[in-house]
Amino acid sequence: MWKPLSSLTALTLLFAGAVHSQSAPVDMQPYGDFSEKITAYVKLHQNMPSLRPKRQRKQIVDTRAALRAKIRQARSTARQGDIFTPLAAEEFRRVIHTVFTGAGAAAVRDTVKDPESVKGWRLTVNGDYPEDLPVTTVPPTLLLRLPTLPPEVTYRIIGRDFVLQDKEARLVIDFIPGALP
Amino acid sequence: MHFIQRAAVVFLLLLTPQTMAWQAAPAPGGPIVVTLPGKPDSVRFVAIGDMGTGEAEQYQVAARMEEFRLKLPFPFVLTLGDNIYGGKSPADLRKKFEIPYKPLLDAGVLFYASLGNHDDTNERFYKFFNMNGKQFYAFSKGNVRFFALDTDYLDPKQLAWFEQELAATTQPWKICYFHHPLYSSAAYHGSSTELRKVLEPLFVKYGVQVVFSGHEHVYERVKPQKGVYYFIEGAAGELRAGNLRQKGLTDAGFDKDRSFLAVEIAGDDLYFQAVSRTGVTVDSGSFRRPGAPDPR
Repeated sequence: MWKPLSSLTALTLLFAGAVHSQSAPVDMQPYGDFSEKITAYVKLHQNMPSLRPKRQRKQIVDTRAALRAKIRQARSTARQGDIFTPLAAEEFRRVIHTVFTGAGAAAVRDTVKDPESVKGWRLTVNGDYPEDLPVTTVPPTLLLRLPTLPPEVTYRIIGRDFVLQDKEARLVIDFIPGALP
Repeated sequence: MHFIQRAAVVFLLLLTPQTMAWQAAPAPGGPIVVTLPGKPDSVRFVAIGDMGTGEAEQYQVAARMEEFRLKLPFPFVLTLGDNIYGGKSPADLRKKFEIPYKPLLDAGVLFYASLGNHDDTNERFYKFFNMNGKQFYAFSKGNVRFFALDTDYLDPKQLAWFEQELAATTQPWKICYFHHPLYSSAAYHGSSTELRKVLEPLFVKYGVQVVFSGHEHVYERVKPQKGVYYFIEGAAGELRAGNLRQKGLTDAGFDKDRSFLAVEIAGDDLYFQAVSRTGVTVDSGSFRRPGAPDPR
């Protein structure tokens, strides 16, 4: 009998292969338990207050603050490398290096050529991703070669660091320092 | 502190965003002369990008948009990203969006936003932006299907969604808008060739005819590339004066002042009019939908 997939099963399947005609299936084996760790994080996120379309910006800001506080509390012991484990980080570094130095690298590097920063801000796990820090486009040809993420989380590039961010909470979940060549 | 100094400080503290609108002096220049034909049942809209500064020039362009609307109504606006620069507090959103565009919002004009690199992804939950919580989305108006993309993060999921949407579209006009231009003659950023690698094949394969972008703080109408018309309108608040370069890409450009772009689609014809902050028409014209039957 046909049975609908649970949301977590569906999320796990996102890592399984290509979702677009321009992308090749991503082999998850070299990433170790990265997908399981992401799935666990998303499960945590889904049990928190969630954002909905609102006319008042204040309602969005307040909900986001509550979400961020609860995630911080639940992950109070989180450390850099918890999700980007040494094994996963090695594979991310390898793929990033390939894309940034291989054929078409000039266009890829051009995408991240204007890194911007916020004075006095430091990248930390569970830290804020400042509202006024502009986003660097993550090169799409890199994204085509990386595990696709569920909608709650996103990859970011800040300077030479490769970052995993909670989109709604604007929270840094984990990062790989100096991942970009 | 002297009484007058103290009074001045109190006065400045009382300047809430609600009371700041009057500060923007009217833009210099004469009245706008509308060149769009205003045909019955046409699809009319305005495109603006890089506008959310909260500064006087944004207010002046917004006032010009309202002046235009009073002469030729348009029911919606496409935003091409960098909707809100800097802080994103409720006061910021009032100052950088709700107040400058209040006459338009009060008249029922809808804003369909796309996100730029200075935006917060949570702007997708802000009801005035009509994104319904989505970073990328599509909607139809008359014979046009619009696709708002998020070029900060074109992952395989977004590309797959876009391809499915394009394949399923029945409207003859397919118009895409997003922040980063695939073709640009501006010196500051230039063309995004990395994004072009993944988007242009889809535009060509599924017959996207028109693309609007921002990011460069100029107006530029690019010569059609592989049958696709590209417009940049990233000067509705910010400006990089004198930033356009001769690269052989430009059909028309304007980098001397802020501007907005008005568009009308009537049947198989698209009419455009770019208007400066001072009310001058800096570019206008029309073209027929590529592939449309010859009207003669």
